[in-house]
Amino acid sequence: MAKHVFCDGLARRDFLKVGGLAGIGLSLSDYFALNSAGAVSAAKGKSAIFVRLAGGPTHMDTFDLKPNAPDTHRGEFNEIATNVPGMRISEHLPKLAKCADKYVILRGVSHTLAAHELGTVYMGTGNRPIPSLKYPFYGAVVSKELKASAELPSFVAIPNQGNYPTGYLGPEFGPFETGAAPVAGKALEVRGLSLRNGVTLTDVERRQDMLKRYDSAFGDFANQDKLLAGMDLFGQKAFSMMRSERSRLAFDLSKESKSITDLYGQDGFSQSCLLATRLVESGVRFVSVSIGGWDTHSNNFTSLKTRLSPSLDAGLAGLFESLHQKGLLESTTVFVTGEFGRTPKINKTAGRDHYPRAMFCVMAGGGIKGGQVIGASDEKGEGPKDRAITPDDVAASFYKTLGIDATKEYNTPSGRPVMVVRNGKPIDELFA
Amino acid sequence: MKRLALYFLLPSLAVWVSAKETVPATRPANERFGKIQSAEEPSFRRHVLPLMSRTGCSGRECHGSFSGQGGFQLSLFGYSFDKDHLEITADTKDNVRVDLENPEKSLVLLKPTMQEKHKGKERIKKGSWEYNVILKWIQTGAKLDADKTGEFGRLEILPKEVVFKKAGDSVQLRVLAYWKDGTVEDVTLLTRFRTNDETVSTVTETGLVRAKESGDTHIVAFYDNGVLPVPVLQPVTAKNGSNYPKVAARTKVDELVVGKLRKLGVIPSDNCTDSEFLRRVSLDMSGTLPTPDEVTKFLADKSSNKRSAKVDELLKSPGYAAWWATRLNDSTGNNPRRLQAGNQGVNGDTFSRQWYDWIYKRVSENEPYDKLAAGIILATGRTKPEQSYKEFATEMGSYFRNEERADFAGRPNMPYFWQRQNVRKPEEKALAFAHSFLGVRIECAECHKHPFDQWTQTDFKQFQAFFEPIQYGTRPGAKDEEVTFQTATKSLRDSIGTNVAANAVQKMQAEAFRSRLDKGEVLPWQEVFISGNSRPNLTPKQLEALKARNANMAGRVLTPKILGGGEVPLGSMGDPRVPLMEWLRSKDNPYFARSFVNRVWANYFGRGIVEPADDMNLANPPVNKELLDYLSDGFVSHGYDMKWLHREIVNSDTYQRSWKPTASNKLDDKNFSRYVIRRLPAEIVIDAISQATASTEALPKFSANVMERAIGPNVTAYGRGNGARATTDYALNLFGKPVRETNCDCERTADPTLLQTIYTRNDPEFLARIETARRNVPSWIEELNKANSASKGKPVGTDSKPELNIEKLITEAFLRTVSRVPTAVELAQGKADIAAAKDTITGLRDLLWAMLNTREFMVNH
Repeated sequence: MAKHVFCDGLARRDFLKVGGLAGIGLSLSDYFALNSAGAVSAAKGKSAIFVRLAGGPTHMDTFDLKPNAPDTHRGEFNEIATNVPGMRISEHLPKLAKCADKYVILRGVSHTLAAHELGTVYMGTGNRPIPSLKYPFYGAVVSKELKASAELPSFVAIPNQGNYPTGYLGPEFGPFETGAAPVAGKALEVRGLSLRNGVTLTDVERRQDMLKRYDSAFGDFANQDKLLAGMDLFGQKAFSMMRSERSRLAFDLSKESKSITDLYGQDGFSQSCLLATRLVESGVRFVSVSIGGWDTHSNNFTSLKTRLSPSLDAGLAGLFESLHQKGLLESTTVFVTGEFGRTPKINKTAGRDHYPRAMFCVMAGGGIKGGQVIGASDEKGEGPKDRAITPDDVAASFYKTLGIDATKEYNTPSGRPVMVVRNGKPIDELFA
Repeated sequence: MKRLALYFLLPSLAVWVSAKETVPATRPANERFGKIQSAEEPSFRRHVLPLMSRTGCSGRECHGSFSGQGGFQLSLFGYSFDKDHLEITADTKDNVRVDLENPEKSLVLLKPTMQEKHKGKERIKKGSWEYNVILKWIQTGAKLDADKTGEFGRLEILPKEVVFKKAGDSVQLRVLAYWKDGTVEDVTLLTRFRTNDETVSTVTETGLVRAKESGDTHIVAFYDNGVLPVPVLQPVTAKNGSNYPKVAARTKVDELVVGKLRKLGVIPSDNCTDSEFLRRVSLDMSGTLPTPDEVTKFLADKSSNKRSAKVDELLKSPGYAAWWATRLNDSTGNNPRRLQAGNQGVNGDTFSRQWYDWIYKRVSENEPYDKLAAGIILATGRTKPEQSYKEFATEMGSYFRNEERADFAGRPNMPYFWQRQNVRKPEEKALAFAHSFLGVRIECAECHKHPFDQWTQTDFKQFQAFFEPIQYGTRPGAKDEEVTFQTATKSLRDSIGTNVAANAVQKMQAEAFRSRLDKGEVLPWQEVFISGNSRPNLTPKQLEALKARNANMAGRVLTPKILGGGEVPLGSMGDPRVPLMEWLRSKDNPYFARSFVNRVWANYFGRGIVEPADDMNLANPPVNKELLDYLSDGFVSHGYDMKWLHREIVNSDTYQRSWKPTASNKLDDKNFSRYVIRRLPAEIVIDAISQATASTEALPKFSANVMERAIGPNVTAYGRGNGARATTDYALNLFGKPVRETNCDCERTADPTLLQTIYTRNDPEFLARIETARRNVPSWIEELNKANSASKGKPVGTDSKPELNIEKLITEAFLRTVSRVPTAVELAQGKADIAAAKDTITGLRDLLWAMLNTREFMVNH
């Protein structure tokens, strides 16, 4: 049995003994542990929806407007009131203005990494990237920590999650990627789960029956050997997921009621948000949804007005409202973020460039008290006003809503102990 | 001027002859400090700090944490004497940690005894000898004596080996510390102990070792800078030692492995079958599934040496060169995204491909490993020292132009190892070098004393000094050069004109770079060079002199140390990598040959003789030292002949054991008494799937030609295609192909996961491979379908409608996937399944699907 030892002198217990199976490696033993023990927590959040605004959305023209800033900075849009007194957002987010009591705006979130990849890692893991270590993204940590359903994956990415989302945790905690955004009123095909290529349920069952008979080369030893026994367990789980009615229904948007679908727009982002609510409802622990196009180096205002804001507005407002109507908002944490904000000063091509010093995040559900703005940027939106909210703090808060201890240590495969979030502290006001 | 000297810290522990054993050791600590009145004066370094380490005070979760605890911070593992002394004796505003006037009121005594609130609970009892050590130390002035104690020598543990008869038996260890000043202390009670496997034996704080389950492991003792493991063994059966039955040991490897098994009373498994051997060795050695033809021929071959003949054949195959090039690309960290070349119109994939090709050529030609490593370690951008910038840039261009491209693999050296963006800083270079060529993880020592080896932070800093002059960038040119990086840059910039929008410059420049490249013009290339390189390298004579001065070139830790009056002035050093390479090649270097041998062994057995294979340290001893010694010594004495090593391993009975366990070796997965089943590596699974599903004509071609393969040159760390794009190969990633971004062999994973199972059960990409063509490789099922539909309407029995021979097809499905013929039962089953299917080909398709999903296919066994 391989013995890994840590930098700090502790011996790692490599394999958890579960039943007669003494594990076959970290990932599998973790899997057993998840399925046998489950996660018991007092936190309100049981699932999470992560909305990624890819490209880095402008804070100045969405959730952190500066009507009194000089012309060089202010931008073309006006602020409007929301259903929460004093909480004001862009005029192009009217639906979100009507449900501001459901969410929190974090302003003056600040870091220093102005490149897309680095910013994405920082905001997607809560850890400032370093070259020697790949941190796991939120979805990987959540699917490691929260008990998975037997028939559904615990982590679904709509449409995908980008590179190496699991970092040092390894591929076991990776997402099921849908590969495409769902289409209104249709069932979405999911890589590996949906029956495609003309394969029917009968085929699946027939093949499974065949497999059982041909997969006998190792005889009794297959039950004694940890690797072989583990592979067999995965086979059983895969089979039940492929056959699952619950799984099929969860991905089928035609099964949603009209009162819910009406809350959304028709585009890919709205439908992705709708799918996310169905998945969470069915027991998926973490869903990531993505809306791109925020890298507005030029024509910022046109893009926002005509395309980005309306799409975001319809999808996010739909998400908050439908989670609320389904009674899922308390148990579902919603976390909306880009990789950075954009330059408060407008550039020559009516665009804004990368700007990590001031950005915003939106959070809701999972025990978070909605209807408030936490933190602030300065007069021109150039940096945090008083205190900077760090990505690390946001991450620690996010995990807190799910009852995951952000100071918990994982051991990397090379034996290095690393905290889930290395420097963050939960933001108290979120839970006030 | 700084003077740089080479010196070798501590020779390897084994070299120490215990001539001083005659010196009587001190009494144990509990006797020396048991009574406060008569207690000796304790030493800070020898007693106080080790005690704080043993009681857990300086542990990571307590005051050894980087931010300390409760405002009190100690160095992790207590090896920063000055710093810790200052921390312990410094008074804080309200509290006096060390009170010289009222020693008993010192916080360092009140806290651990819980006389004052202590989050860390009670660590020592008031009045105990431990208490007395600290009290007496304070009473005698709380002095720092790290200089006075002098250097630590070595540890000795008695007994030197523990052999238990049954569970529950126990043995008390005694630990002696030999200081260089001649003192010998009994430090048993001041030592931290650790078991390397608590299921085999446990150890108490005071060094009492207790047997648990049968098997073998080590108990490791830590004291000051000493780390010493003592082997502990409890035989699995009574048939051990002289009772061990006669087990053939055909080769030296077998003899050494069986030697260990004899001690354990473990009987190894029988020899595997011919079809198991063929499949196993083809996959392990050449990353390739044998073709159906190969299986048939091998099974029919009646010659007695057919296994070793097959090994020789495989060693000549492109699969061997490709798979081992892939492994060497893993360990040297070939990653295209870290090889982007700034404003140059060349993306990282091309560099990455050249890196692969350079290694592939050397593996296939069986260049000695030391020479291959030297070609990477000593590389600079310029292939000759006298090369001008113009000559260099012209040469670089020749490797990248589209027409008449020069063969990069023909270059004498390969500088990209030092060119990566993630090894720019000297400490990053030191870590990468240690991982790639030493199989050592020294990152711990970057921040604190290495917990499992003698590396200190100072050692790390000094080791790092080797790498400081290695640069990648613009090398300052000679004054009279007609072309320089700067003039080439200017000329490139001028060529795109001045009237260009700012945001278009980069793109246009890259295009200009590309087009000028193809015209063979001189372009701005950055390069790997040694800064301040006007000084000459050491002449062979100087090098010999240097080695002579440092007689022990085999130290575990090599540090160039800047001394006031060092022997080797920095100015005469030239390229510091030269003496580093000498160290690697020196006789008895503890890492260089061993790390390669260990990695190769790990490839064949799923675990190294040292495991993890890239974590060689004092506290992680080899499971069979004699075996590692034999192979490493042989590897060196055979001139670092890689093929010798492969043959030596796979021609042994040890490699050719069956996976079927015997009564005594079921639980053995580390002493090589049976073939331990493991999942195929990512690239090999993917290639095996492609090969098994390919058409009759395409299959042997795919097997023989690595160009289209996942182990071939067109697949970088991220898969096929442009590494600059944010795309990665889904399946390769899923099955654990390493991206080569961090210094750890653990990047490659062989664990099965649920997503992998789902991939082979139902992923559209996988299903499509069975049914249709992929990248111009038609599938077998598609071929059968086409032949079948082409014959529709033709009279049965004519030549154009060949009858489908069901038995033959079933046999082929087995040969393609599990590389054996079906049993009679399987054949009957296959016939029944196909008869029950909608049509023959559908039935066959499902059978192929099922075979690809068997564990027999997915693992090597």
